[in-house]
Amino acid sequence: MFSRTTLPPITAIALAFTLTACAAAGGSSDAAGDDSALGDGHGAIAGAQEMPEPQLHLLSLDETGTVSHLDLLDESVDELGTVDGVADVATEGRYGYLVRPDAGAVTVVDSGVWTWSHIDHFHYYRGEASVLGDVKGSGPATVAANGAGAGLFFAETGEAIVLDAATLADASLDERVHVSVEPHDGFIVPVGSSALVTEPGADGAPASVRVVDGDGKLGETVECANAAGTIATVVGVVVGCRDGALLATIGDAGVVEIERIPYPADAGAPPATEFRAREGRPTVAAVAGASGIWLLDTRKRTWALVDAGTPIVQASAVDDNDEHVLALAADGRVLVLSGATGELLAASEPIVVASVADPELVTGIELIADQHRAYLNGPVERRLYEIDFADAARIARTFDTAAEPRFTVETGR
Amino acid sequence: MRRATGFAAVAAIVATAGLLTGCAPSIAADRPLVVVTTNILGDVVGELVGDEAEVLVLMPPGADPHSFEISAQTAARLRDAELIVANGIGLEEGLAGHVESAEADGVPVFLAGDHLEVLAYAEGDAEGTPDPHFWTDPARMVDVVTALGEELPAELADSDSASVDVDRIAANTEAYLAELDELDREMTATFTAIPEARRALVTNHHVFGYLADRFGFRIIGAVIPSGTTLAAPSASDLRELVAAIDEAGVPTIFAESSQSDRLVQVLAEGADRDVDVVELVTESLTPPGGDAETYLDMMRVNTARIATGLST
Ligand SMILES: [Zn+2]
Repeated sequence: MFSRTTLPPITAIALAFTLTACAAAGGSSDAAGDDSALGDGHGAIAGAQEMPEPQLHLLSLDETGTVSHLDLLDESVDELGTVDGVADVATEGRYGYLVRPDAGAVTVVDSGVWTWSHIDHFHYYRGEASVLGDVKGSGPATVAANGAGAGLFFAETGEAIVLDAATLADASLDERVHVSVEPHDGFIVPVGSSALVTEPGADGAPASVRVVDGDGKLGETVECANAAGTIATVVGVVVGCRDGALLATIGDAGVVEIERIPYPADAGAPPATEFRAREGRPTVAAVAGASGIWLLDTRKRTWALVDAGTPIVQASAVDDNDEHVLALAADGRVLVLSGATGELLAASEPIVVASVADPELVTGIELIADQHRAYLNGPVERRLYEIDFADAARIARTFDTAAEPRFTVETGR
Repeated sequence: MRRATGFAAVAAIVATAGLLTGCAPSIAADRPLVVVTTNILGDVVGELVGDEAEVLVLMPPGADPHSFEISAQTAARLRDAELIVANGIGLEEGLAGHVESAEADGVPVFLAGDHLEVLAYAEGDAEGTPDPHFWTDPARMVDVVTALGEELPAELADSDSASVDVDRIAANTEAYLAELDELDREMTATFTAIPEARRALVTNHHVFGYLADRFGFRIIGAVIPSGTTLAAPSASDLRELVAAIDEAGVPTIFAESSQSDRLVQVLAEGADRDVDVVELVTESLTPPGGDAETYLDMMRVNTARIATGLST
C-alpha cells in the first residue's frame, strides 16, 4: 500500500457538490447529479473502490436464515441480513440469489465485491454489501446467473424473468425481460443481452430451448430433450440436453448462435444435468452416473469422460495447467483428479461425512473451485473448508461457523 | 496487466475541473483547449503551456490508462480541442476510437509514440509487441517534450482564440527540458551507484521495460501469491516467486500487493527468503497529497525506492 493515497472523504463530498452545482448552473438537465461526465469506466463506480486483487468471500446462509459474508483475505465475518425459507442460493460472483419457494420470491443480495473481466486483464472492486430486495413470482424459482445478469424461472407459472447486470449494478431489480411459457421444470439463462428459455414437450418435460431477445421477443427454437443444467464459460453459455450440450454464443451480428456438442456415440454414461467449473475457464465438469465425470471443453467443443473410481456427488473443473478436476465423494472426501489422464492425484480425509449422508443437506453443499483454492461447506460440521488442490488436497484453512452453513457461494471472483 | 489504483471519489476531481471549465464559458472561451489523455502527459503538457491554454486531462489520478473510458459528453469536447495529446503505442485502448474520430473530424493529434524509439516487451504474454510505457526512461520523455515544444506553439498560434504567447511556451519548454535533464542526471548517478549484479527488478509491474533498457536493469517477472493463498501457503504457491528472487539475488521485490507484510512474513517463514516488498508508481499519478503528483515526482520516488531497495 506504499504509494496508495486515499482522498479524505470530506473532499470528495465537497467536489461532488461542486459538480452538481456546476452541472445545474450549466442548465444541462440530465447531467445534474451524474458524476460520470468523465470516466464511465474505471474508478468512476460510485461507492466502490478498486482493489489490487480479488476480494474473495464466502456468502453463506444458515438454518436461522442469517446471511453471512466471510472475507477470505482478512477472515472477518459480516452479517448481511436475515432471510427466511431459503431453498437454494445461486451467484454469478457478485449477487447472491436466495430462492424462497414459500414466499414465491427470489431475494437478491449484493455482496459488494466483484471482479470485472476486461478482455485481457481484470479489475477488482469492493463496495458496500446490501440486500437489494425481492423479485416476486410464485412457488420455487430456478436461477441461472452469469456475467450478463440473471435468469429467474418460476416452474409453477412458467414466468421467466431476466435481470440485467447493468441494472443490478444500479441497485435496481427492474426486469429486462419478462416472458411466460408453459409451466414446467425449466429455466431461463441470459446470453449477452438475449436469453435462452426452456419449453416443455407433450410430456411436460423440457424439450427445447427458445431464444428470447433483449426486448422479450421469442425467436428461434432449438431441440434440447430433458434440458437440465446451464453454466457460462469464457466461450459461451452451456445448456445440457439428453444427447449433448448446446453452446450459445453471441455472433458478429449480435445475435445468439447455437451449436450442438453431441456426446460421443458410445458415451457409456448418463448425460450431465448440473455443471460446475472455475469462473472464466473453457472446461466445465459434471457428474456422469455413479463415479464418472464429464468434462466439456467449450473451446474445443469436445466431451471427455473420466472415472473417479468411487461414488461421487459433485464435480468441478479447475482447468489450470495441470487440468485439475475436483470431486466430492459420497464418503465426504474431496478428490483431486487429472482431467488429462483421469488419475486420482490426491484425496482429503473424509471431512463432510455427516452432511453428505443427509439427503436434506447434501443438495446445499457446494464444492467451489477458484484459481488457487477450493471451498466446501459442511452444514452438520458447522464449518467451511479451504482446500489446496495443488498440494495433495491439503486442508489449508477451516472456518468454524456459529450455525449450519446450509448454502455457500463464493463472491468477489 | 496492471491493476489500477483508482477511487470513485478521485474521478470526481478531474471531472469537476472539466465540468467547471465546461460550464463557465466566460473563463474558458478566450483560451484554446488542449486535451490530453493520460495524467502523466497531462502534467507534462500543463508545464509547457502554462496559462496559454486550457488543458483538459481525461484520466484522473489512479486511472488505468489501458482501459479508461469517457462519456459521450466528454468525447464531444475532443472536437473543440486545438490539439489532442495522446500516448499512443496502443496504451489508451478505451480512448483510441474517440481520438481517431476527432482526428477524422480535423482535430490535430500528437502521439508521443511517434516521437521516440519504441521498444518491444521483453517477456510475458505480450513479448515482442510494442511497449507503450516509454515514460520510465526520462531521455525518451525529453524526445517527446522536444517534439511537443514545436507542435504546441504551431497548433495554438493559429487557433481562433485570443492571442497565445508562443514565446512563453518556448520558454516553459526550455525550462522543463532543463528539469528533465536534471532528473536524467540524478537517475543515472543513482542507478550507476548500484552494483551491476544487483540491478535486477523482481516485479509484477509491467511498465519498467524502458527504464531497464536505459539503465541496465534485468527485469524478472514475478507472480505474487494471492491473498487467499498467503493465509495458508504451500511450497507450490511460492515456488515461482522464490525462483525469481533467487535468480535476481536481490533483497527487494517491487510489487503491488494488498498484503505486503504478510508476503514478507510468508517468504521468511515458508521459504527462508528475507526480502522486502515495495510498490512503485507505474502508469498513473497519485491524487493531490500523494507522493507522485507530477511526472518528476513519480520518477524521483521510484528512483529512490529502487535504489534503497537494492542497496539494503
Ligand atoms: Zn500499462
